[in-house]
Amino acid sequence: MIALNLKILPQSSFGLAGYWGLQEPVTIPFYNYESNSSNYFGIKDWGIALQYGAEFSGSVNSSLYLLAMAKKLGNHSLSARFTPGYQKEFLFATGESIIINDTTTQSLEANYNYKELFGLGYSYRFDEQFNAGLAVRFFSQDFNQQVVKPVFGDTLYLVRETIDEKVNFWNVDLGFDYILNKNFQFRVSSINLINIKDDLTIEEFQGFEMDQKRGALLMASYMPADFFNFHLLYETSNSFQLSTTGSTSGFIYGLTAFHDYFQDPYIAGLIPAVGYRTNLFEILLSGVKYFSERNTNASFSKFYEEGINNIINNRYSFDKIVLSLALNISSTPEKKVELIDVEIVRDIYPTFYDKYIEQPFAFGKVVNISGETVNVIPSVKIEGITDEKIQSPPQTLEPGDTATVPFYLIIPDKYVIDKATLSYADFYVTTSSTEPDAQLQKAALINSLNSWDGNVANLRYFIMRDIDFSMNYAKSVLSNNKSVLDTLPSAISVFYKSKILFNNFVKSLVYASDPRATAEYVQFPKQTIELKGGDCDDLSVAYSSLLESVGIQTALVDYKEDGEIRHVNVLFNTKLIPTQAKFITTNDSKYFIRKNEQGNDEIWIPIETTSLTDFDEAWNVGVEKFNREAVNDLGLAAGKVEIIDVY
Amino acid sequence: MKTFLVLLFFVPSLIAQEFKAINIRGDVKYRAGTSEVWAEVKEGTALHLDDFISTGEKSSVQIKESGNIISIGELSAVSVASIKKMSTDELLLALAMEDMINAPKTNSKNNSSSTAVYGDKEGQGKNLTVKTDDFGIRRLNGAMQLAKNGLKESSVVFAKETYRKYPNSKQFPSYRIFFADILYEKGLYEEALGEYLDIAKLDLSKEEKAKVESQTKSISKILLND
Repeated sequence: MIALNLKILPQSSFGLAGYWGLQEPVTIPFYNYESNSSNYFGIKDWGIALQYGAEFSGSVNSSLYLLAMAKKLGNHSLSARFTPGYQKEFLFATGESIIINDTTTQSLEANYNYKELFGLGYSYRFDEQFNAGLAVRFFSQDFNQQVVKPVFGDTLYLVRETIDEKVNFWNVDLGFDYILNKNFQFRVSSINLINIKDDLTIEEFQGFEMDQKRGALLMASYMPADFFNFHLLYETSNSFQLSTTGSTSGFIYGLTAFHDYFQDPYIAGLIPAVGYRTNLFEILLSGVKYFSERNTNASFSKFYEEGINNIINNRYSFDKIVLSLALNISSTPEKKVELIDVEIVRDIYPTFYDKYIEQPFAFGKVVNISGETVNVIPSVKIEGITDEKIQSPPQTLEPGDTATVPFYLIIPDKYVIDKATLSYADFYVTTSSTEPDAQLQKAALINSLNSWDGNVANLRYFIMRDIDFSMNYAKSVLSNNKSVLDTLPSAISVFYKSKILFNNFVKSLVYASDPRATAEYVQFPKQTIELKGGDCDDLSVAYSSLLESVGIQTALVDYKEDGEIRHVNVLFNTKLIPTQAKFITTNDSKYFIRKNEQGNDEIWIPIETTSLTDFDEAWNVGVEKFNREAVNDLGLAAGKVEIIDVY
Repeated sequence: MKTFLVLLFFVPSLIAQEFKAINIRGDVKYRAGTSEVWAEVKEGTALHLDDFISTGEKSSVQIKESGNIISIGELSAVSVASIKKMSTDELLLALAMEDMINAPKTNSKNNSSSTAVYGDKEGQGKNLTVKTDDFGIRRLNGAMQLAKNGLKESSVVFAKETYRKYPNSKQFPSYRIFFADILYEKGLYEEALGEYLDIAKLDLSKEEKAKVESQTKSISKILLND
């Protein structure tokens, strides 16, 4: 027998669902190793698929073509497929016959069965544009032939024997995908790059093995709109496929025309496909229609001469109808937004426990990568501060939009931290489910409890934090002076309470600058009283806290330019109206008139808390400074002096 | 440039000033700084910026400062700090400060005013009656003296402070019209209009009413033309 090299090739680019390019939204092509050697697919987590179909070869023969599954692990993509229906069996009369019992002639037969049994795919996505992978497939060839063998003995006689051999081989191909942008995508893959096969030992089967001629696939897609995408796939064997695919409102369609170098006519057939998909499943009905007459019979010699070039697509293949089903199972929800970056715009001062509810401490840049309008909920969790994620108000993002989202924070009011610590803030953006779509971690400096940002308005946090201590302290002092207070007219009660509290408060205090010689360290009232001293911030905070704790309105006066050093003292509301001023002083320059919420004038007096002699002296010193810098020099109007109400 | 201008405005007040009382006639007193006591002013008494000077009936005093002499007539009271030359820009700044102070406090946060006041016997306090004294009027007279001595801008500022500290002093139309006219004269039409409209609510004489209406019309015309 002459050993000819038959053109029985392993699968090249033909797929039963047609060619779909690199479209991520479509699940089905993931198992189509014939055109997807790079194992590129859009499944986010798990994918399971099957193809079941029927071939119209006179009768209708149905079979399960394949079962496949895929898994994505970060940038790694894995897939496997089992292909029981990828086989073609040829049964021939070899042309030889044997006469049995001188009367019966029996033809000898040959049976060749070509199968692709299973395949495995792996790929790695280097970035948004570049993906590379490989597909490994296992093929089996069963050769079986009846032959006549002479038996030499006393008499020569012939016997009919069956010889058979199984030849397996592995086929490895590589593929590379380049996604230039949403509109243009390219792929290059090998055909029969690596073959590892068993040796064929029986001479009769020589030349019937599947050919492993090397080649390449070149593919390009132009996708101007979701509904119209165009793909061209060219094989170096001079075959090609042209297809158009698209989707709208979940409906998908594909139409592939293929030119097969080994078949006639020039366009050998069409593969139309329609289907419907959701995020969970995909169903696709496709068909293969050949334009040439299908061969059901051929002689062994013709087969020997022409061969076939593809197991499921050759001149002996019949029209088919194929139902493809895929499930897109995800243990993690589909990512709809991406958190590009986060900028921390404010240092975190734990004492300002509710400040970051009004003023975000960080801003993140979020992009909607889905095709739908989404509500993004930003949230943050800071190690050591918050046990739960702190959510910020949701923000609506149109598809493709990028937006800046604020991150707000609530610090537990009992949170304690002795010294500044470098912590980590985890920023999340969440859309529909409870699991975040994206997260980003940034280092964040958490200042100590006594740290202050230098903004006088924020001293109110120090004033209010120890308010229980201040209340007990103030009540105790006022209780000891109950007899004096009881004799006073109610109108001047506030003034005298303030005076008594100050005189008691300053008795044992001395002025001391910050321990760290900076303006960023402020003591809480309890610390000031226990340590028996403090600087202007500490003393103003402590005195204001004592007054506020018994319902006396206070304000801090921020002298922004006092040489190089800023200064703070206290104003308090006597609740007297201007005509009652003489109850506390005959000097009308010793008080300041402010309107209350109702628009009524009330007398406020400035107290210099660092003047630790007595109330009258502190009042006088406070007045002199206030009149000079805030009033006469127009400091209030020029912004050099600011009155900041504690509440 | 803005900073530079602001600095220029404050130059006069930054320079140490010396005031001396001269040509004293009758009952002239001064109150030093935060003191509660009035003391007699004698010829050559040195006065400081935070002092106050007050004249009695048929009394007067002149205050000398760096060659300038300011005369204060009878029944007048002025703060020494107000004896200063101000520019119209400074006056505007001072008026802005007035507006700032007079704007009702708006605070959305919970007010810490207590509902129960420790030791107070609300409603049981001694009912003190407050008598309106004439110090507010003396201050307004003092403000007018400043204007008459050419310190018109500071006279308005001093008058405004007086209105705040002595609310009853706002009820005298003649003073109000006098200081509103200064605003008009200085071209501060919007500020003057506000004053005239407020004055119109007072009990005015026929002449005062005519004057206020005429000024209001005149300003309205000017503002419309702008």
